[in-house]
Formats: sequence, structure tokens, C-alpha cells
Amino acid sequence: MINKLCLIICCLLLLLLLPGCWNRRELNELGIAVGIGIDKVGNNYRVTAQVVNPGEVAMKMGSNRSPVIIYEATGRTVFEALKKMTTNSPRAIYLSHLRILVFGEAMAKEGIQNPLDHFSRDHEVRTDFFIVVAKGNTAKNVLRVLTPLEKIPANSLFLSLDRSQKLWAPTATVTLDQLISDLISEGSNPVLTAIKIFGDGQSHDPENANDIDPRARLYYSGLAVFKADKLIGWLNEKESKGYNYLKDNVKNTVGVQSCPGGGNLSVEVFNTKTSTKGSVVNGKPSIDIRIEAEETIGEVMCQIDLSKTSTITMLEDQLEQNLKGILRQVIDKAQQEWKVDIFGLGEVIHRSNPQAWKSLKQNWNEQFTGMNITVNAEVKIRRVGTVINSFQKKPEE
Amino acid sequence: MNKNIRISVRQFTVLILLYTIGTTILVIPSSLAVDAKQNAWIAAAAGCLISTAIVGLYIWLGGKLGDRTLIEYVEYVFGKWMSVPLTLLFLFFSFIGSATVLFYIGNFMTTQVMPETPIESIVILFTCIIVMGLLAGLEVLARAAEILMPWFLLLFIVSTFFLIPEIEIEKIQPVTEIGLKPIFKASLSYLGTASLPLFVFLMVFPAFIHDRAKAKKGFLIGNLLGGLFIIVITFLSISILGADFTERNLYPSYALAKKINVGDFIQRVEILMAGMWFITIFFKISFYSYSFVTGLAQLCGIKEYRPLVVPYGILLIVYSLTVYPDVVYMMDFDSTVYIPYILSIALLLPAFILAAGAIKENMSK
Repeated sequence: MINKLCLIICCLLLLLLLPGCWNRRELNELGIAVGIGIDKVGNNYRVTAQVVNPGEVAMKMGSNRSPVIIYEATGRTVFEALKKMTTNSPRAIYLSHLRILVFGEAMAKEGIQNPLDHFSRDHEVRTDFFIVVAKGNTAKNVLRVLTPLEKIPANSLFLSLDRSQKLWAPTATVTLDQLISDLISEGSNPVLTAIKIFGDGQSHDPENANDIDPRARLYYSGLAVFKADKLIGWLNEKESKGYNYLKDNVKNTVGVQSCPGGGNLSVEVFNTKTSTKGSVVNGKPSIDIRIEAEETIGEVMCQIDLSKTSTITMLEDQLEQNLKGILRQVIDKAQQEWKVDIFGLGEVIHRSNPQAWKSLKQNWNEQFTGMNITVNAEVKIRRVGTVINSFQKKPEE
Repeated sequence: MNKNIRISVRQFTVLILLYTIGTTILVIPSSLAVDAKQNAWIAAAAGCLISTAIVGLYIWLGGKLGDRTLIEYVEYVFGKWMSVPLTLLFLFFSFIGSATVLFYIGNFMTTQVMPETPIESIVILFTCIIVMGLLAGLEVLARAAEILMPWFLLLFIVSTFFLIPEIEIEKIQPVTEIGLKPIFKASLSYLGTASLPLFVFLMVFPAFIHDRAKAKKGFLIGNLLGGLFIIVITFLSISILGADFTERNLYPSYALAKKINVGDFIQRVEILMAGMWFITIFFKISFYSYSFVTGLAQLCGIKEYRPLVVPYGILLIVYSLTVYPDVVYMMDFDSTVYIPYILSIALLLPAFILAAGAIKENMSK
């Protein structure tokens, strides 16, 4: 009898512990932050959070309220600012569903290392969000733009970056762990995608998302180059594409090639494979880059006879030159203008010759500037699409 | 002691395996990467090989024990009074062992999963299960291991399978950069967490096992298989998270499980993966505790250890909360004090007992 009583009391006591109510977080108490922006204001960090308004997102018939709300707070550290946000937000900021982290340009120039620590330390934060830099703007302004089609702007940014990396190439989907490993690596410097606001007007006006042609739009524009953790410059679209070719990040993209008789044709690039080999001879590092790409003709806007093998060979030749040109341009820019290794070629040398790397890493960026980099490209045109020759006739003369 | 208790060789092998993996799987990739960097998985493999020798020593000593447990053997060799300090050393070792491992699981839960829940509630709950297991006895624990093993395997295989696409082989290169010395140093911390604690199994092996000849083989196999799991986890940590991130993470294998994302559909499953650690850590604490309470009972000449279990559980809760004042102390202790400590208890002590036993045998001849 006493045993049974003990058992019952034990069960009741366990009831206190087992349901796990201690750490309960009700959905309606959480402010789910999908985008975080960090700017520097004086010596303080201004943190902007784009928080989902769940009612507005879930409702089929949306009312006129905005699907996301911006909260901001300023603090000496990022964590302080995030906690301080509760002074103007009714819900605690919850970071597990973060999609995008935006650094303002001024912040990026000063160095992004410090604010990143909280994101790698906090247990709520995962590493699957993308990190971008607001070009010529503050992070706050970027997060204030409402987007059509996707109700949640941060989601729209995340998806658009993901798609453009897969289909268009000159962007980079950099996640937290990648960024940190680029930052600490002695043979590599990080690169982030740049984001710009196009147009201005009342970008945070809910009307902006209702417009058929919104007055303010966000778009990705090339890559931002860092030396260690400080922003030092931007790559344009072509250079960004070259960067991604070199890093073997290109999955699918478009190349435009001029025809012999004037006019252009475009090719779809897929199945690219870049292999980078490093070697050290007499203490001098050198890098050999080989790109193999398969392409198909996607569009013809000129006079060209695609039914001949010789045409295809000629095109392949030109495309190879083209590809080499794209790579050379970005390599030259990195070597001559910025003098920093943004490609992680130091890591390639490290892997190929760990012994030599020990002395080379002392002044790697200088070594990189004077390093001999050879580029080889091999293009194969496999298919020409569903038609052989274009219907386009010679212009009447 | 009731000498009629018997567990099968298979149960024993599974117990060794789970005990080897417990806590090791959670913390070892990090401590291996501190010294061996991208070659941490080689250090794990080296540790696994060296551990065979250590298990060999335990089997050798086990062969001398016959029907006695370790503590009874120590008493037989050294006499009633001389044996007390040695026994106390052993008891202290198993008590510290279970308290630290209990702290590990509590700290893991409060750091990664439920930061606002007091660590006490987790530790108390976990101890309740340990106490239940001890009250039920060795045979029940062994059967539980047999039942839980497939679940552990399922979780492990599923998570490994899902993680394979994330592997970036560049992260383990260059393979030959790290010299032998750091690898050896790293493998010491493998031994300290995975193999040397197996010493406590001399309270079970070979006295309570059906087929003693086969049990020797089971001991070796369980240890090697457990090592294999740890090599795989270390390899995955290094090749997916990178050496630096692994080194800086408190719980790399949890960070690893966070990486699982199959088609944006199977994701955020890390807490299911944590099930693996609960299962293995349960057996780790159970056997540290089992050797403590049975050892204490034998030292005091109590026939039945069960009355000691509940007071022991209460002590364990309190001690696990005070054994490490904070996490930084824990890491500092584990990397500096712990390794020499466990080497002297779990390597020198059995060697000493073995030598003394041999001398006694010779003298009596």
C-alpha cells in the first residue's frame, strides 16, 4: 500500500518535469525574425529585424496590414540590441527561422567579424541563412522594401539568391559557416553578394507590394570583395561570374557570343567543372585552372550555319577564348587592383604542398599578387536546341 | 553477491559498444580537432587501434579474476586492509566518472536545446532512470541494451546517410600535414574518453558472463565497433563542418545533425539524432554507477547492493551539479587533469594489480 502511494507520488512529481513546459515557447509569443540587418551608428550597432506578422501571412484574404514588421534597436553589441528590441516589439525576437542577414555598406567597410560572433554562438541560430551586403545603402533600408509575389521580403530575397546562383551564376549563396571559415582561413578572403535598391519612393508603403511595377525593388548586383573582414570593393556582373567559374560554383548560366558576320548568339552553359591545381617550384607558387563546360545553343540572332561541324568547332574555340577572358578579368582585378586572394587559392596551395605553405602563408596576399595563374578552358557544344538553322533570313540588301 | 546473475556474450558486446560511444560521440570530434586539425579522424583511428591493447590488458586481468569481481580480487591479492586504499581509488574513479557524464548530458541539454530549463530538472530526470536501471539489476540493463541497440543503429545509419551529400573532401586535406606527435596527443584524449573507462567493466567481466572464452572476443569486438562509429562521426564532422568549426564547437556532432537537409523536407531533425546520445550516455552512466554501488557494497561486505542505489542517486545529482563549476572549467579539466588521472587509474592501477597478482601466485607456489 505504501509502495503504491510512493509510486503515485513519484508519477505526480515527474509530471512537473516531463512535459517540458519549462522552456515552452508559444507561437504567439514569438516574433519570428526572417531578416536581420546590422548597421553601425557611431560606436553602436543598429540591429533591424524583419519580423513576420503571422496573421497577415496566413490569411487568404489579406487585409491592408503589412505582412512583416520592422523592429530596430541600437546597442553596444548585437545581442544587447536584439534583447533591447523587446522595448518596441510585443514579442521576443526568435532567430531560428532567419533567412537573410544584411550588412550595411558602412558596417561592412568597418569589418563584419565582431557582429558575427553572436550568430555562431547563439543556440537558436542555424547556419542555413544567406549573408549579403547592402550596396550603397543601409541594411535597414533593404529590409524595409516590401516585395510582391512573395509576401515575406526576406523569403523573397532568400529564394531569389538561391535561384540566381543556380540559374544565373554571378551571385554567391554564402552561409554563416562558409563565411566564418573564409574569414579565419589564412589562404582565402570572403566574398558576399551585393544587394541594391532600385528606385526609391515610399518603399515601405504596403502599396509598394500591390503595385504591378513596384516603385522600389531589391536586386542582387554582383559580389562584394573583402580583405579579411573589411569590404574593399565590388565585382561587376561579368567579374562575379568569373569568380564563380573559378570557384566551381556555376551550375547553369548564359553566355553571349558574337557571330562572325555580326549579331549575337547565346549559349546555355551547364555541366561545368573547374579543377584548380596548385604547385610550388623553388618557393614560388603557381596555379593551374582548368574549366570544362558543356553548352548548348540557346538563341541565334545572326546568320550562321549551324549544320556544319566546322562552325561548331569555331564556336567552341571562340567560347573557350571568351571563358578564359572572363576568368582572366577577375583574376587580374584581384591580383592588380585589390591584391587580395578572394578565390581561396592559398588553400589550394596549402592542400598541394603543406610544407611550402608554412612559409608562404606569412605574406600570402603579396605572394598571390605576383603568382602565375594559368587558365585553360575546354568547351563542348553538345546540342543546338530543337532546330538546326535559324529561320532568320539574310537582310534584304 | 548473487553469483547466479548471467548475461549473454551478445548483450555484453552491445554494452561495451554503447558504453564506448556514450559521451565520446558528443564531445570527441572537438577535442581531437584541437590537436590533430583536419587529421582528427586519423587520430580517432589511431586511438581505436591503441585501445585494442588496453582492452587486451583488461582481458588479461579479467582472465585472472575467475569468479571474483575486480574488488574481490584486489582483496584476495592485497589482503583485507591493504586493499582498501586501492578499492577506494577505483570507487572514486567510477563515482567521478558518472557525475561528470551526468553533467555532460545536463550541460548539453541546457546549452543546445532548453537554455531556460534549470539543469537540475534534467539531471534529476536522468538520474531517476539510472536508479531504476540499477534497481532492476544487471540482467535488465543488459537486455535494455540489446533492445535499444537497433534504435541507435537506425538513428546512426539514417543520419550518416543523410549527411553523405554534404561531405566536402577538400576539408580533410592536406592529409599528411599534421605530424605524428599531435595525432598521438589527440588519440590520448580518445583513449581517455572511449577506452580507458572500460576499466569499470571488470566488475562484470568475466564473472557474470555465460561463456567466458567468447566474452573475451566480445570485449574486443565491442570496443572496435564502437571505435568505428566514432571514426565515422569524426570524419563527418571534419569533412562537413571543417576542422576549425569542429574545434570551436562544444558539441560538433549536434552541429552536424543540424546540417541535415534532404530536399528542404527532412530538416531540423537534430533533436531526434540526440536520441543516440541519450541512449549511449544512459549506459555509460549506468555502468559507472553499477561498478560504484556494487564495489561499495563489496567493500563494506554488504551482500545486496540495492539498498545503496537510492542514496547513491541523490548523491550523484548533487555531485554532478558541483563537479564542474562552469563549462570552461570542464574543458580545462578534461584537457589537462583528466588524461593523466585516467591514465594512472585505468592503466597503471590494473597493471599494478596484475603484477601483484602474479607475484602472489608465484609466492604461493
